[in-house]
Amino acid sequence: MYDFIRGPLVWVAFLVFIFGTAYQIYRFYRLSRPKEPFRLRIPFGKPPKEPDETPAEPVLTWWQQVRLSVVGVNPIMTAVTTIFHLFLVLTPFFVLGHNVLLDVAWHASLPSLPEVLGDGFTVVVIAGGIFFLLRRIFLDRVRAISTPYDYLVLLIATAPFVTGFLAYHQLFDYDTVIVLHMLAGEIMLMAIPFTKLVHMPYFFINRFVLVHENTLGAGGSRIWR
Amino acid sequence: MSANEQAPVDQNEIRRMLDQHKDKMKTALRVCAHCSLCADSCFLYHVNDKDPRYMPSHKFINSIGRLYKKKGAVDRAGLEEIKEIVWRRCVLCTRCYCPLGIDIPEMIALARDICRSQEVYFQWSELEQPA
Repeated sequence: MYDFIRGPLVWVAFLVFIFGTAYQIYRFYRLSRPKEPFRLRIPFGKPPKEPDETPAEPVLTWWQQVRLSVVGVNPIMTAVTTIFHLFLVLTPFFVLGHNVLLDVAWHASLPSLPEVLGDGFTVVVIAGGIFFLLRRIFLDRVRAISTPYDYLVLLIATAPFVTGFLAYHQLFDYDTVIVLHMLAGEIMLMAIPFTKLVHMPYFFINRFVLVHENTLGAGGSRIWR
Repeated sequence: MSANEQAPVDQNEIRRMLDQHKDKMKTALRVCAHCSLCADSCFLYHVNDKDPRYMPSHKFINSIGRLYKKKGAVDRAGLEEIKEIVWRRCVLCTRCYCPLGIDIPEMIALARDICRSQEVYFQWSELEQPA
């Protein structure tokens, strides 16, 4: 069991994650189409003047725009979710323990965080998970659309960090905890394309590919079919 | 109208319509993280004392999501409930904001289409007349 979890299942998990996510992105492209240039057809009369190149003065000041955006309306949620997601994605790459294993296996590794920081970031992710849990239980609007599935996915996303924390501090039986830690990480990877964790690629699709007023970067290139 | 109300719901027709949009619905329902960040973008949510039932995600999960999960197996009473959601709690202003890019208005519009196919739709005569 131990050998299976630390050996083949790791590869299975990565393959499922990579190909599953690629498939979800492919599906998005199949369900969307390129945006078309806006054409105004005027059958009679003079052709329309070329549009004025100077951008219009914004009606709202930048501060008013921020206040009305999702950042201004939900400042705490935005801050917590940004930090939670950043640390959730980045911490595993730079934890010392992971890099030692990589070095042993492949004689190559990424730069490592000092142990204290790796541990601290893990605690931040767990704290974020607790924030989402409390929000789901106590906020009316979140509770109204919550199902057991939502709690399960929250557990799947935070379990690798909880077990990682326990393993680092050698709490409980280390041999059991470290197997659970590997298993939790593998389950999370495999769950990303096939549960609501698929919001991992969709966050970027929404912000950089779909055309809407909140698109960042080049303004997006596709719309839903 | 009363004759239509008695007529059985053509669940095969509903299933056919759902199948046509299956991928899109499945994607929307899967991507929704149930985060509730769409709530504040809905003006009806605000004018109804922040009642969660007016939240865009709540509306699409309980209309098209419900039809999809039941694979179209709804009776007339079920369609009447969905009608309440997709006409009385949503005006399709398309101003809702989803941080993950779900096209919520399209989902609501699809639920309206399915209701209409079974002769369930909003009637002006249902509106309370001002005194």
